[in-house]
Amino acid sequence: MGARIESAASWRAHRGLFARGALALTEIAARRCLDRGHRRPEDIDLLVNAGVYKDRSLAEPALAAIIQEDLGANPGHPARPHSHGTFSFDVLDGGCGALTALELADSLIRAGTSRLALIVAGDADPSPRTSHGFPFASAGGAVLVEPGEGGQGFERFAQRTFAEHAGLFEACVEWEAANPKARRGGNVLVVREDPAFADRAIACAVETTGAFLADLGLRGADVDLLVASQYPPRLADEVARAMAIPRERVAPGPGELGPAHTAGPIASLEAAIDSGAFALARNVLFVTAGAGITITVALYRR
Amino acid sequence: MLAERRWKDGAGPPCAARIESIGARLPKRRLTSRELVAGMRHRTHIDLERLTGIRERRVCSDGEDSFTLAVDAARDCLARSSLRAEELEMVVCTSITRYVGGLSYRLEPPLSLSVKEAIGAPRARSFDLANACAGMMTGVFLLNDFIRRGAIRAGMVVSGEFISSLGANAARDVRSIYSRQLASLTLGDAGAAVIVQRAPSGRAGIAFAGFTTISEHSRLCLGLPASQMPGAEMFTKARTIHKVAMQDAPPLVGEALEGSGLQLSDIDWLIPHQTSTRAIRAGERVLRERFGAGPKHTIVNVESFGNTASTTHFVALHKYLGEGAFRRGERVMLLSVASGLEIGVIVLVMDDLVETHGRTH
Repeated sequence: MGARIESAASWRAHRGLFARGALALTEIAARRCLDRGHRRPEDIDLLVNAGVYKDRSLAEPALAAIIQEDLGANPGHPARPHSHGTFSFDVLDGGCGALTALELADSLIRAGTSRLALIVAGDADPSPRTSHGFPFASAGGAVLVEPGEGGQGFERFAQRTFAEHAGLFEACVEWEAANPKARRGGNVLVVREDPAFADRAIACAVETTGAFLADLGLRGADVDLLVASQYPPRLADEVARAMAIPRERVAPGPGELGPAHTAGPIASLEAAIDSGAFALARNVLFVTAGAGITITVALYRR
Repeated sequence: MLAERRWKDGAGPPCAARIESIGARLPKRRLTSRELVAGMRHRTHIDLERLTGIRERRVCSDGEDSFTLAVDAARDCLARSSLRAEELEMVVCTSITRYVGGLSYRLEPPLSLSVKEAIGAPRARSFDLANACAGMMTGVFLLNDFIRRGAIRAGMVVSGEFISSLGANAARDVRSIYSRQLASLTLGDAGAAVIVQRAPSGRAGIAFAGFTTISEHSRLCLGLPASQMPGAEMFTKARTIHKVAMQDAPPLVGEALEGSGLQLSDIDWLIPHQTSTRAIRAGERVLRERFGAGPKHTIVNVESFGNTASTTHFVALHKYLGEGAFRRGERVMLLSVASGLEIGVIVLVMDDLVETHGRTH
């Protein structure tokens, strides 16, 4: 059996004085997740970060390594006797990153390589003063996974990409010689989203989810809980409608702070765990969407 | 070190994994260390070539960037492979520099999506991974895991590094050998790609793959967009990194050797991260002192290519395979020491690759 979800947590930032960067948000979520799972940081042997928009757009090292150090997850070596320390790296897969990271952790857990993995994801505008078009709410999330028992855990993952729509959502850091807020010019974050992106992403998600469920021999009515990306905002409801999944089986969305990016599905998962919906579900369907257009789906059995 | 669990009673995983093909792309343009130092804004007395052993590095010309290097390397890899692009079930792109169309650093969509479309593998599972200079080895570590447990049959790890722009930016700021941007002057551009393929259990191939992160050193080397010019900058506490690498890498190499049932003297070729001749020789000495004997050969190719970041091990493998240096059955250890501090070890047993590398399909 694949990886079993032990706990999930998220953390959101308000604007203004209380604004926080991606690293701080992710670390708060990670600590809450460890507390909820009654685990210590040194128990983690794998840490994967899936956040895309990092403080100062850090390219090196992997942000996961910094998070590992700050959490105190076996930061030194030699590690404790009979422990193999912690291995950290980042995944960059846009809005699908958290589910992709879970797939990698699931694989290493199935192989017996990892015993406890922490998946983290967090995004915040690295330079709100100079950036253009950043559409996401600042948020961090974390999920703790361990080897599944008794038929509980991830059963299957699938991805489809629709490269014909790659130009509908693009995010780059590029030099802008005449940014009015950066007097001498600067490297600024530019997010370009075509108005058609949301509808196309939803259509791609519906197509991918339909094929995935058919492949598994499931119908929409068999899905007890749908956990989806929070961006584009209508994704969860539209997928549920198209698949005939009752609306009450959709995990709660973003609320008033707006949709989170890579941490979005984790925040919805946390809400479903808190409401008790996750504990009652037999078939949990994960649907994530991101630029590319990339759709990643997974079935989790309880 | 996180590595595949040990199998008891002679049992093994369902499958083995092997390196099926390696491709590379090196830009044609050469930049010597003398030229780089001559172009520095501040007058210094740095003898970069003597300090690092780097005579020259390749640098991108107009129209070349991280993406084009990655695609060209992937095509070279496929040309040397018996597999067709559509047989790849996973494509992982691991570039630190994610430049597309000049110095535009792309965050989304993933580069792997564009690479798999360019090479004709649109149905492959794709994602990007970032792990500093350990990126490609991390990708191989993950593919090895998917393949050994029978989840996929073949996948590609690919990276393109248009990283010489950091050297160009550093050349404006470096004033002495104590500058935190000095290490940027060692960087060179390259693309590399590797196909990892399923092999019958017990066959030669990837004998060991393991990684760990000694994160108490995570802030010793930071790469981020430049504050006053296009491209990026890298700030490195090079002496501290060197010191902790010499201290922390040997016990982990020991763990890898124990995991693969080998002595260091059983390793025919050691390929460390290509940073500077001095650092590589110092690392070799430390390993010899700890294990009583060293590998039979240590590969150093910095003089021609410099430090090509995440592609470093595979550019070296590609070069030495091309020169016919390896023999079937020889053991090659790839040792990664990268920002994080990421320490990874992959042990390969040379197989058909030594003969098939020179062929094109």
